[in-house]
Amino acid sequence: MNAPIFRDDLTIKPQGLSMSNEVAALKGRLLKSIGRSVYVYRVDCGGCNGCEIEIFAAITPIFDAERFGIKVVPSPRHADILLYTGAVTRAMRMPGLRAYEAAPEPKIVVSYGACGNTGGIFHDLYCVWGGTDQIVPVDVYIPGCPPSPQATIYGFAMALGLLDQKLKETHHVEGEGESVPLIHPEIPYALRVAVERRAREMAGYLHGKVIAEAFLAALAAPEPASVEARLAALTAQESDPRVVEIYGQLRAVLRAMVVEQAS
Amino acid sequence: MNAHTPLRIGSSYVAALRAKLPHAVLEERWQTDRQATITVKLEALPEAVRTLYYVHDGWFSTMAGNDERGLNGTYGLYYVLSMGGAEKCHMVIHAQVPEDKPEFPAVTPLVPAAVWYEREVRDMFGLEPVGLPDARRLVLPDDWPDGLYPLRKDSMDYRFRPAPTTDAENYPFINDAKQETTVVPLGPLHVTSDEPGHFRLFVDGEDIIDADYRMFYVHRGMEKLAETRMGYHDVTFLADRVCGICGYAHSVAYANSVENALGIVVPERGQAIRSILLETERLHSHLLNLGLACHFVGFDSGFMQFFRVREKTMMLAEMLTGHRKTYSMNLIGGVRRDILAEQKLTTLKTLGELRCEVRRLVDILLSTPNIGGRVTNVGRLDPKVARDHSPVGPVLRGSGFRRDTRADHPFAGYLSGATPINVQTGCDVLSRTLVRVSEVFDSMAIIENLLNDTPAGPILTEDFTYTPYKFALGFTEAPRGEDIHWSMLGDNQKLYRWRCRASTYNNWPVLRHMLRGNTVSDAPLIVASIDPCYSCTDRVTVVDVKKSTTKTVAYKEMERYCRERTSSPLK
Repeated sequence: MNAPIFRDDLTIKPQGLSMSNEVAALKGRLLKSIGRSVYVYRVDCGGCNGCEIEIFAAITPIFDAERFGIKVVPSPRHADILLYTGAVTRAMRMPGLRAYEAAPEPKIVVSYGACGNTGGIFHDLYCVWGGTDQIVPVDVYIPGCPPSPQATIYGFAMALGLLDQKLKETHHVEGEGESVPLIHPEIPYALRVAVERRAREMAGYLHGKVIAEAFLAALAAPEPASVEARLAALTAQESDPRVVEIYGQLRAVLRAMVVEQAS
Repeated sequence: MNAHTPLRIGSSYVAALRAKLPHAVLEERWQTDRQATITVKLEALPEAVRTLYYVHDGWFSTMAGNDERGLNGTYGLYYVLSMGGAEKCHMVIHAQVPEDKPEFPAVTPLVPAAVWYEREVRDMFGLEPVGLPDARRLVLPDDWPDGLYPLRKDSMDYRFRPAPTTDAENYPFINDAKQETTVVPLGPLHVTSDEPGHFRLFVDGEDIIDADYRMFYVHRGMEKLAETRMGYHDVTFLADRVCGICGYAHSVAYANSVENALGIVVPERGQAIRSILLETERLHSHLLNLGLACHFVGFDSGFMQFFRVREKTMMLAEMLTGHRKTYSMNLIGGVRRDILAEQKLTTLKTLGELRCEVRRLVDILLSTPNIGGRVTNVGRLDPKVARDHSPVGPVLRGSGFRRDTRADHPFAGYLSGATPINVQTGCDVLSRTLVRVSEVFDSMAIIENLLNDTPAGPILTEDFTYTPYKFALGFTEAPRGEDIHWSMLGDNQKLYRWRCRASTYNNWPVLRHMLRGNTVSDAPLIVASIDPCYSCTDRVTVVDVKKSTTKTVAYKEMERYCRERTSSPLK
């Protein structure tokens, strides 16, 4: 009755395109070292505009991709690179294919953003075919939602052999008896959780973590001064009134927990 | 809006409706003190909507179809009106369509603003609006099989992809011109930055006689996704991805709709942070549009300067949220990150720099003599047409209407009466641009006020319970106008139905009226002035009906002609 539904049973897959050996060889050479300026044509196959707007940011004065010879052109017939953004929607399949056919060989296809790469959050929807590589062969993937202009320029540089791929890879092997240390093992677990939760409520995930850490460190410090004195000193050092307010809240949590324990 | 007063704003409209249609009003349900859903008999639906719209100064906000057969054996239709009169509130007219006879009397003949909504509900639910003259598809692609309605609960799995029925794009375009015209198709791929859309301009010589367009090239099925794969609390992040430019406004509108449905009181500090981020988003969006306005009148150095200055707002967003776009800051009940003193000071400093720079650029832009000539009296949106079609945002305010969701229906951290409304009465491209210029400066002031006087307390509340089948509206004023979401919770930690309406949805239908009577060279400028879509296409095919010849003009040529206006490519 409730047999599992597999995606492949539901899905008609669009047919991918193939290319001749000659074109593939030319393209391989182009990818290694292009040695000149490149013209880019954008194909939006169903993006939300986030990617488009970041491409725009990448070609305007602050980031200025044109200094690397990367220029956006208004027709696929002028293009060396086709930049596909967005999950490919049903309605954009034919226009996307027409743009691909219109660009002269050898052409490089760059898939841009989470949706272009895999379909992103929309990957399995009824009106979407998935990532760019479902309809045309892709050479370079630029990740991000949306990718920042820095990532965009880096992606192009990779595509064009402008950068040698010098990723500094290291491997870590776990040693004998090595383990990840616990944070503040001397503070009772329930107290730590209560402090962290309150800090998150007050200041969110990023700042809350920093503030809770500072508070717990002061709490756990092996000083002769009393806990109250240490926390008062921590609060007095702080110049940001909002953080002072949050420390006050955390001290209230501490007081409530300790009183509860004592009674 | 969080104050719980027994006073229900909008009761007089319900009373007026009961008086006008004595036997047709079946039920009234209040979601909040300013939101009521009034169930009427199906045959009284058009008259009920017309009464609120034209007699009581209502504006068409959205319409949601809903497959409620699992709950009560009918399809629900929810026509949402934003009331602009003395009692500012949202009135929702609800009618039930029986399962065995899936048709309803169309509202469009009485209220033209409903046309896209009724075409959409036919596509998605297979409910036939009887009396709707436009029989074309709106949302579904040309290659979608007939008789398959994606949003019906029993029609298909959300992952089901039927084989394409055709490789041809066979959408019929409508031309109301009396004389013979030449066809200028534009799109769907555009050279500048925006979504795909296809335009047909019907021209006589240089003059645009009529225009039609095909949108929804990027329909993906988000509403179905929100009801199936995602939990109700994940949809805030999906809503961020509705639009890459004003996604945060959608996220707030969605969170707001669930918070209204469940009666969640969001802490004041969280509300203030939402407003600060919404205004940051407005800054980058308006500066983008001002830059593009420069580009389309051939003032490219202005374009580059506006984009240079705009980067400050992007860095501001990155500092406050962690990402330049797609902020992902909202949770149901609050926000995910506080603004501490360091961020506050950097923001105030950046805003100071931004104000000087934008002031200088705007002075340069407005004192360039060519600008006035290109944008004055171009792309007129007649106030009468605007009243009939309910456009939103700067498009509406540029035609003299004082409507701004932040002031009319205060939400998030916007205090009642504190938000200025910028209005221009020229009805043209210039007016819409000037509205945006004033809003840039207002946004900066709003952010400064909120930062200098941020309420204390938490940014998030987790004190609420998920209650099945509650529903309500949520709304924001995005840079392009009102975004409005209608959400109904299910019984499985998911949504039963999510209807998300972006501001530009209400602005497209009036574009046709704005293009008529202008010249071809102004078309990209007029389209850009509603701020959805910036330009034409990769190439333009010109079909001369009289000579039966086809001539293809490069897009560059078309755009050059828009900027320089010499040597027409159509000759």
